[in-house]
Parts: sequence; C-alpha cells; structure tokens
Amino acid sequence: MSKIEKALKKAGEERGNLQLMPAAAAGGRSAPRTALLGQQIENPETISRMAGNEHKLLSADELWERGIIHPQRAEEPAVQVFRELRTKIIQQNDGQNAVILVAAVSKGNGASFIARNLGAAFAFDSAKTALLVDCNFRNPSVHRLLPDPSLPGLADYFENPEIDVTKIIHPVGIARFRAIPTGGLREIPAEYIVSVKMRRLMDSLRERYRDRFIILDSPPMSDIADARILSELSDYVLVVARHGCATNAQIETGLSAISNKKLLGIVFNDEPRIPWIR
Amino acid sequence: MQMYPEQIAKALINESFHSRRLVVGMFVIVNVALLAAGLLWPKSYTGSTSIVVDEKSIMEPLMKGAAVATETADRNRNVREVILGRTIIGQVLERAGWLADHPTALEQEGLIEQLKARTTVTPVGRDVIKIEYRDSDQERTFFVTKTFADLFIQEMIAQKESETRSAFDFIDKQAQEYQQKLTAAEEELRQLRSSNLDARPGSDLELSARLIALNTRIENTTMELREAEMKHASLERQVNGEAEVTVLATREGQFRARIAELQAKLDTLRLSFLDSHPDIVQLKNQIQDLRAEASSQRERREKAKPSERVEPDETVVNNPVYQQLRRELSQSQLTIGALKARIAEAQRLLREEVGRGKDLHSGDARLVEVTRDYQINREIYQDLLHRRERARVSINMDSDRQGSSFKILEPAKAVPSPNAPRFWQFVVGGVVLGVLIPVGLLFARLQFDPRVRLANAISEGHKVPVAAIVPHLWGPRELAGLRKELAILALVVTAMLALSATLSIARVLGVL
Repeated sequence: MSKIEKALKKAGEERGNLQLMPAAAAGGRSAPRTALLGQQIENPETISRMAGNEHKLLSADELWERGIIHPQRAEEPAVQVFRELRTKIIQQNDGQNAVILVAAVSKGNGASFIARNLGAAFAFDSAKTALLVDCNFRNPSVHRLLPDPSLPGLADYFENPEIDVTKIIHPVGIARFRAIPTGGLREIPAEYIVSVKMRRLMDSLRERYRDRFIILDSPPMSDIADARILSELSDYVLVVARHGCATNAQIETGLSAISNKKLLGIVFNDEPRIPWIR
Repeated sequence: MQMYPEQIAKALINESFHSRRLVVGMFVIVNVALLAAGLLWPKSYTGSTSIVVDEKSIMEPLMKGAAVATETADRNRNVREVILGRTIIGQVLERAGWLADHPTALEQEGLIEQLKARTTVTPVGRDVIKIEYRDSDQERTFFVTKTFADLFIQEMIAQKESETRSAFDFIDKQAQEYQQKLTAAEEELRQLRSSNLDARPGSDLELSARLIALNTRIENTTMELREAEMKHASLERQVNGEAEVTVLATREGQFRARIAELQAKLDTLRLSFLDSHPDIVQLKNQIQDLRAEASSQRERREKAKPSERVEPDETVVNNPVYQQLRRELSQSQLTIGALKARIAEAQRLLREEVGRGKDLHSGDARLVEVTRDYQINREIYQDLLHRRERARVSINMDSDRQGSSFKILEPAKAVPSPNAPRFWQFVVGGVVLGVLIPVGLLFARLQFDPRVRLANAISEGHKVPVAAIVPHLWGPRELAGLRKELAILALVVTAMLALSATLSIARVLGVL
C-alpha cells in the first residue's frame, strides 16, 4: 500500500470519526484533543459500564493465537483490511450504528472469522463498541471466545422469557467487544429467528447503545433460509467467499437471496499471501 | 477475464505458495522422471565418413559422339542403393559380428532393416557422399562406418572394372559387326562395277552428247530429204511440161503455119480472082483439110491431157532438154533413197542410245547407294577401331588402379551423436519443466477451476463489489509450522538439485 493511500485512508478514518463529533462538525475547526475525547464519551454510562465490567483483557499475542486481530499488530495486512472494511461501513451508515450480517456462501468459507475480526476492528475505536451475535446454531463458534462456553445465549433468551438481555451478553476479553453465543449446542427452529422477539431483541440491542455495531454471524447461505431471514433483520450484508472454496454458482445463489440495497459487497477470504512479504 | 501480466504473475506466485507441497512434489517427480529417462536413454554414437565419388560412366567418354549412352539414373540414389544394397549390408552384418549367433533368415531381415534405418547416405556437394551410421556402441559404430566405406569403394571399383570390360566387349562386338558389313559392301560394289562397265562416272554426260549429235543428224538428213523430194517433184513436173511443149511445137504448129501460108496465098489470089477460081477453091479445100487435121490433132492432145502423161514420141524423146531433165530426175531419185536410209540408220542408233541411257541410270543409282553404304560403314568401322583401342587402354588403367576415382575424403570416426539428447539436457529440462509444469497446472487451475481463486473474478463475474480482500491470517503456531515446512521443502529441492548435479558429474566423468 502506498504512502498516499495510507494517508488517504487515515484521513478517511478520521473523517469518519469526526462525523461522530457534532462539535467538530458544527465548529468546522479542529477541536483540541481533550475536547474530542470529551465528545467521544457521549454515553458515559455505556463506556463506564463497559470499562468497569471488562474482565481480564487478552494480550495481542493471545488474540493472535486465537485468530483475532489487534491494533498493536498494525503491520499485519489483515488488520489493515479489517480497518478499511470497518471504515467503509461507518461511512456508509453516516457514523450511525448498524446491524451487519456476515454470511458465508457455503460452509467452511470462514464467515465466523470475518465476523469476529470485523467486531474486533470496530472495537479498535475507543468511541465504538461491537457486539457479535452468533446466529449459526448448527455450527456455532462464538462460545469459544468466552471464558465459559456454556454461558447462556440466544437459545436461552428465546426459551426463557424471564431472562434479561444483559444476561446473555458476555465480554470476550477484548475492550469494547461483547458477544452473544448461541447458548447451548441445541438446534433452535427458524421460527425463533423470524419471531417478533428476535426483531425486538435486535431493536433493543441497536437502540440501547448508539455506538454499538451489531455483527450477526449467520449460517451459510447455501444451507438454509435462515440467512435470508437474518438479512431482513440487518442493515447490511457481507457475503464471505473463501479462496479455493466458494464456487461461482454458490456465490450466485447467495447473492440472489439478498437485496442489493443491503449488500455491502463480497469479502474474499483467506487470499494466499506469503507472510513475510508485505 | 482480463488480467494484466503482473496480476497473473502475482496470482501465480501466491497460488504456488498456497499449493507449495504440490509444487515441490511435482518438481521432484518431474526431475526424477527426467533423470531416470536421461540415465536409461540409450547412448548414441554417430560414425561418419566422406567419400569422393567421381562416378562418370566409362561408356560416356568411350562412346562420346558415336552413341548416346542411356542417362545414368539419379546418381545419389544409385550410390545409396549400392551402399544399402544386399551385398554390402550382408557383408557388414557378417564383419560386425551380428551373424555370430546364427540368426534366422527373418531375424537377419530385421537386422538388415535396423542397419538400414540407422544408416544415412547424404550427398555433400557434387562429388562427395557422406555415410553416417548411428549405434549405441562407439567401437562398433566406428567399425561399421569404416566397413561401409571400404566395401563401397571395393564394390564401385569392381563395378567400374566390369563396366569397362563390358564396354570393351561391346565395342569389340560392334567393330566386328561393322567389319563384316564393310566386307559385304565392298563385295557388292565390285560386282556392280564389273556388271556395268559403262557405269563410270561421267558416262551419262557422254551419252547425252551422243544423243544430241544423233538427233541433230536426223534433223539435218530429214531436211536434206525434204529438199531432194521437192527437187524431184519439180523435175517431174518439168519433164512432163517439156513433152507437151514439144508436141505443140511440132504438129499443130506445122498445121497452123501451113494454114497461114495457104491463107496468105488465098488472100493474094482473091485479089485477082473470084472465089470460084479453081485455085482459090483448091486453096480453100487445102486449108479446110489442114484445119481438120489440126483440130483432130488438138482433140488428140485434149484427150491425152487428163492422163498428164504425154506419150512422148520420138521427137520429144530426142529433145536434149528432155533428156537432160530425165537424167536429173533419176539422179534425185537416188539421192532420196540414200537420205531415207541414212535417217533410218540414225534413228536406230538413237533408240539404241536411249536404251543404253536407261540402263546406265538405274545402275548408277544402285552404285551410288552401295558406295554410300560402303563409305559410312568404313567410317564407323574406323571410329570403332579407335574406340576399341581406347577401351583397351581403359581396361589396363583399371587393372593398374590408375583411373580410380574413389577416395576416402574423411576417414571414419565415431563421436557421440550431436542430435541425441545429452544427459545435461535431461537435467536442465528436469529443472525447467519441474518449475513450469506445476506453475502451468496452477495457471490452468486458475483458469478452469469453478472455485473462486481471484477477487477480480468475483467482481467481474457477479457485478458485485468486493468489499474486502482478507489475506490469510497466520497464527504464531501456524507460522512456526510454515517455517518448518518451508525448510523441509527447501531441503527437498536442494537434495533434488544435488542429486541431479551429482549424476551429471558422474556422467561427465564416465562413471555412469
């Protein structure tokens, strides 16, 4: 990546951030750093809660071990790519939070990898938080990020009307990044997903924290209709196709299932690249 | 899909890295295969020798100008046929030891075909031919090549000798034939000459001169005859006319004279007397008588006139002029007779000459023909005698090997075949193909695999933007594994190259 491109990207990112700052936008003058920080912490309740509830944070190396990006490893091409993707989404939505569905064209395309790293990329920004919701009941993966895989999740939420939303949102060891697992390795019917409860859950998640970007880890588009239903609940859809795995036919089928308005684009996953050559 | 070369190169590098085990495995397989092929490939040596062949048919110079020899068929093919002919090939088989274990006729046939297939005869320039022979054994290659050259020269010399000999025989036979012809022609000429002696050169001129002379003579004599005849006719007419005149002059004239005399006397008397006077009456009677006499005379003459023949009476006969005429008449009669005899004689002579002339001409033509035959035969015979002597010299030359025109220009030698693949070519080919084949296969996979391997392909194929191209995220353990794996692969490649190099050196040193 050339220096100019980097500069442009950086500028873009900052612009994206600035859009979130009414003072800066209205004043048209660059506010001092402290003021900027003050503006960012628009929702003191949220941030303080998040900071207070934050468990032991995982180090960069630990995250790396688990296949999650970290801002400290900025030289890693994947980090830059996710950053760019994040910026693109923020720009697209004028800085507002959004529900983003990450769906693979078929099983094994790495949608979960993309989803959690996209979440991590959102959490890079101290003014944003990310919530990863695992909707892939057949092949869940989010629970692996949690300290205890058996923590309650979506399934519990649907089955138990008493349970509060906050009970199923768990920290994952990354600052400003939470996750909702599927909750128990049992199949839950598609009816739950299309239910009003699910829609309400989404609305409440979105409405409660304005700076929270919700990422849905969807089941693959080729297998079931869930992905289509989930796409209706979300603002944007990212279709994941993995190098040497997704066929053109699968991509075609996957694309036909979602409306063009919501489609952000295709994420080409796992492009082979020699690690030491940048 | 439109791709720029650098995109292709980058994609291929990434794909190669992605399928590194496959690439290295194929590299090793290709290298091993080519090394094995190089080791097992039969060694090939090429023996070659050049021979100068100045192969002009002996018949050509010997028969130059006298006969046209049949065009020697394509020389190179001839040479090829001689070298690869049964005689030479059979001897080569024997000398090179192929027949040592007594192969069957069918096996021998196979050996001969093999030998033929491995031998090439190529013309180099106008008079040089090159014999090339390929074999896996260097010594045998040399031996076979040398044997080919030796046998070929032997064969050609023998062929040339026999050719010279047969040329001499042929010329000799021809010379004898022409001698006989010449003798026969001479004999015929002699007979012809003796049979018509007249038939000499120029006799026809003489003959024509004589014929002209005879014709002239006949013409002249005929003219003379005509003249004599005319003279005779006129003499005859004169003789008849003279008789008439004489008769008139004698009788009638006398009567008329008498009558006139009497008339005169009567007239005189009448002057003095009357007509009754007796004298006068007498006179009148006399006149009347005379007149009657005269008229009878006239009548007689008139009667005699148609016969044109006047009876000459003695008065006439006694007339000297008449006598003179009669003499001349008989004289001319004689002349006419003589002339006629002369003409007849001349005509007879003429006929004789014409007949002789005819004989002379037919004989002459035959003579010319025979003479011509004789001359031609003599010329050819003399020419053949010359040639026969030259052919004899040629035979001597051949037997002394003086005129031999076959020389070995470049003696036989056997070197490794220039066209046969060398071991180093297999080694280099193995390395190159070992890289190219897997990369080519990867390229083919890029092109034809329905699974997506290029981000461009998605954006172009589905008209959908590519939101992000996420590279593989290498975890720390994965990286360590990759390092190890790469080290092993590098080791494998190095070992492969080392093996190739070792084998190449061994091959160069002649160990393998």
